[in-house]
Amino acid sequence: MIEFDLLKLGSGQRIGIADDIRADLELDKIVGVASGGDKLIAETWLEVLLARECSEEVVRYRQEAVKDVLENSSTVLKMYQIAKEGYETAYKEVFIFRLDNPSFVVYEVSKGIGILADYLEKLLDVLSNAKFLSRAFRSLVDSLTLNIDKTFIAKAKEISEIFRFGSGVEFAVEIGSLNSLVNPVLLLPREENSIVSRLLLLERRYTYRLDPRDEAGARILEDISNWVLSKIATTLLNAFDKLMNFFRDLAKQLSFYVGAINLSDFLDKLGIPKTYPDTDSKKLVFENLYPLSLAVSSMKKPVPSSLDVDVDGSFAVIVTGVNKGGKTTFLKSVGQALLLARAGLFVPAERFVMPSTGAVLTHFLREEERTFSYGKFEEEVKRFRTTVENLRRGDYVLMDESFASTNHVEASVVAENVVSALLDSGVNVFYITFLQDFLYRFVSKNSRRVVLLVPERLSDGTRTYRLIKGSIQPGYALELWRKIAEAPS
Amino acid sequence: MLSYRSILGSRGTRADEQVLYDLRIRELVSEVLGRERDELLWNLFLEPVDSVDVAVYRLNVFRDMMREDIYAVVDEFVERIREARDYLEMEKDAYEPHKLGLHLDAALTYIDALEKFYSKLSSLGVESEGLKSFLRYVEGIIQSQSFKAMKESALEAKRARDRIRIRVRIAGDRIHVWRFDRGEDMAKMIEELFARFRGGEMREVRYIPVGSGLSHIHAAILEGAFKFFKSEYEAMKRFYEGFPKIVDDGVASFVREVRFYLLYIKFMKSLMNQGYRFVIPKFTNDGRIDVRGFYSVLLTKKGRVVPNDIFTDGSKRIFVVTGMNGGGKTTFATSFGQVAYLAKLGVPVPAENAELLFFTKVMTAYPVREDPRESLSRLEQDVVRAVNIMRRADSSTIVIANELFSTTTSDEGYQLARIFLEELSRRRSYGVFVTFIPGVASLDFVISLVAQPSPEDPAKPSYKILPGSPPSEYMAVRIASRYGLTYRDLRERIR
Repeated sequence: MIEFDLLKLGSGQRIGIADDIRADLELDKIVGVASGGDKLIAETWLEVLLARECSEEVVRYRQEAVKDVLENSSTVLKMYQIAKEGYETAYKEVFIFRLDNPSFVVYEVSKGIGILADYLEKLLDVLSNAKFLSRAFRSLVDSLTLNIDKTFIAKAKEISEIFRFGSGVEFAVEIGSLNSLVNPVLLLPREENSIVSRLLLLERRYTYRLDPRDEAGARILEDISNWVLSKIATTLLNAFDKLMNFFRDLAKQLSFYVGAINLSDFLDKLGIPKTYPDTDSKKLVFENLYPLSLAVSSMKKPVPSSLDVDVDGSFAVIVTGVNKGGKTTFLKSVGQALLLARAGLFVPAERFVMPSTGAVLTHFLREEERTFSYGKFEEEVKRFRTTVENLRRGDYVLMDESFASTNHVEASVVAENVVSALLDSGVNVFYITFLQDFLYRFVSKNSRRVVLLVPERLSDGTRTYRLIKGSIQPGYALELWRKIAEAPS
Repeated sequence: MLSYRSILGSRGTRADEQVLYDLRIRELVSEVLGRERDELLWNLFLEPVDSVDVAVYRLNVFRDMMREDIYAVVDEFVERIREARDYLEMEKDAYEPHKLGLHLDAALTYIDALEKFYSKLSSLGVESEGLKSFLRYVEGIIQSQSFKAMKESALEAKRARDRIRIRVRIAGDRIHVWRFDRGEDMAKMIEELFARFRGGEMREVRYIPVGSGLSHIHAAILEGAFKFFKSEYEAMKRFYEGFPKIVDDGVASFVREVRFYLLYIKFMKSLMNQGYRFVIPKFTNDGRIDVRGFYSVLLTKKGRVVPNDIFTDGSKRIFVVTGMNGGGKTTFATSFGQVAYLAKLGVPVPAENAELLFFTKVMTAYPVREDPRESLSRLEQDVVRAVNIMRRADSSTIVIANELFSTTTSDEGYQLARIFLEELSRRRSYGVFVTFIPGVASLDFVISLVAQPSPEDPAKPSYKILPGSPPSEYMAVRIASRYGLTYRDLRERIR
């Protein structure tokens, strides 16, 4: 049996709020670069990026394969092209619009088997020169070369020929109840070339010849032929479907790696570094992490950010401060990097260490939620509830101004309850917020596990679009009040 | 050999057309029989039996057949025998090679059906005389020499047929047939070749042959086969010629008649699955009627039906039903009439419990539609019917009367009703009399039943009919009071 699994997607189950995550983190921009317009690549990438499950082992398995692919990119591109073209050609050439006409199905499907046998031959040819080192690609090549050889291809072609160009049907049959014909078994046509066997066959056979005017009889003959062919039609169709599945699976699994080749080329072109992430349950570290979707839309190298957090079970990164300071860009870049990392890909940074391969979920304020209304708040809370239903220990939640659809006093209470609960449940939180009560109470209460980030401002007031660690200054406002009130006019 | 005794006991007598119409019996029977058009079955349901013994005989068969296991065995038997007879029917127009097969399979099906029926039913402990006697009859057939000989010959013919295997080639306008020797199974070969690829979802090519498989082409292939399998052909031929008659006449009659039970039980089950009850009625001989939870089968299609009770120890025999409009009075009378009718057919009745007389006569008097061509007025017709009924009624008669005498003043109507009911009472007949005239309910020899309003909303009916006096306060008055149109309210208001 041909076995290969370049992706190890497992059940391949998507995360519950996949569409929100895709939009919030601008995944389409990244996927656009990786796919270069190839639908299959885009589909596979979204599937891998938004998968619910991911283990460290799988991450390492794919990282190894990605490295291998970047070394053997021309072989991988050829394989992908053969797999995709084989599938698409057969798909175009074979018409099976109804399953109740066996002789028609037999003819079409035999044609398809012939086409795919040709592509298998081409694939075999490419593989004979492949020099893969990763476990994923080694076992693919081994399984294919072990199971598909010249004999197999020759036989498949022969079958295709018999059904496309053979004449008549030959079958064994028994007599069942009501003296009807039962259990037809289609037989391999007998060699009738030798004169001796031909004479023997003639001698011991009974022949019925249809009267040329017997139109009903001709229809019945067709009816019987179709009946005899129905089983073989199913068998052939199944064989064809198996081949098609093989080509589709292969193309799909390869498409992920072709996307990796494309993204790597893109980063190289902009001079953005690539690094293969590590996991360390005690750390979240990144050095010069580049916001990827921003790079795609601006086609330039954007301002990178760095962060170093000690993790004790879980952590919260709280971001606050003036608008236009790069907060949301930061949040997106972290989310994108985490998704690429857990997909087994490289990330656009110089160094990237994450504490777990948990899922990444988002809860971004929607524009329409920016007004205060309990109706809106209820909707927002309902949406957050869906996010929470998808959460597990070790996951990451990226929140952008959550609970801003009601006044900050009550929103702070909600936020404090929610974020404390997440943190204490082992969920990692990134939260952009302006909720002052929340900031003060939450950050001071959880100082050991919380990092507060604010946009950097140089002493001359210039914005750098970097975030730096900040601190809560209790009594600052009063102080400010006093300061301003007591200042001489 | 025994002769067949009908599973129906004996036939009854066709009911009066007017009764069938008034009690909506034809509608009921068409519910029971569905699309079945068998004339015998229709007739059976329109023929109440004349003696209590026949009714009890049938009800005992029902008691057996209402057991799931027995029902299943009988139902399967009927299907198999019909199948055998279908083959014999097809045989008439078939080509010779097919005749041999159809005849053989008719016999094989028949033999198997009979043997299975006998062995299964014997182990189930049937109690009714009807099924017991048929079982003895079947036993007689199975043990007969002729049956044994037929079976032996049929099995030999079948074994012969099973040995036949040929190779056929269809090419152009020719069919070639050989005795099968060897050959490679293409399907198997292809399956093996592609086993190395993972399977996905299986698609199946389905082909339903257009023809019957009994055509002249098929016959030609069989002819070819028989050329190579001569002794096998002889065995089939021997059976065909040796045993021209397959199905016993008694068995054929049973299969036809027993569907009376099968179809009625199927109908019962469809209602019982919705929570409705059916019960085997018990016939009383002390004048008592005690029917609990009976309901209108015809209304079950339209929604939940409210069941009602009716009781008398036999001293008073006339029920007078009064009460609010649309309160279910007519339904009550009609469905009780149906219960009495069905009991007389010897079938289970739609109720929780049913103890009643085996009425010798069921008579009805429902309002007739005014027909301008009819020379008599409606009142006249009512009186004519009442008098006819009165004359024929006796102590085992039930009369269902609905709004009789309503086309005159209520005082006159009361008088007519009193006379009619007094006479019925004197004859010790039973009656259900639906009327709007409250006075009738106060006659001292009647049992007064009243259609009750809904406890939640007194303006709506509850469809419960309970013993009691007609209400002193009418619904219309109660509704008026809600709008302050009572004496006191008006007096207080109009000061």
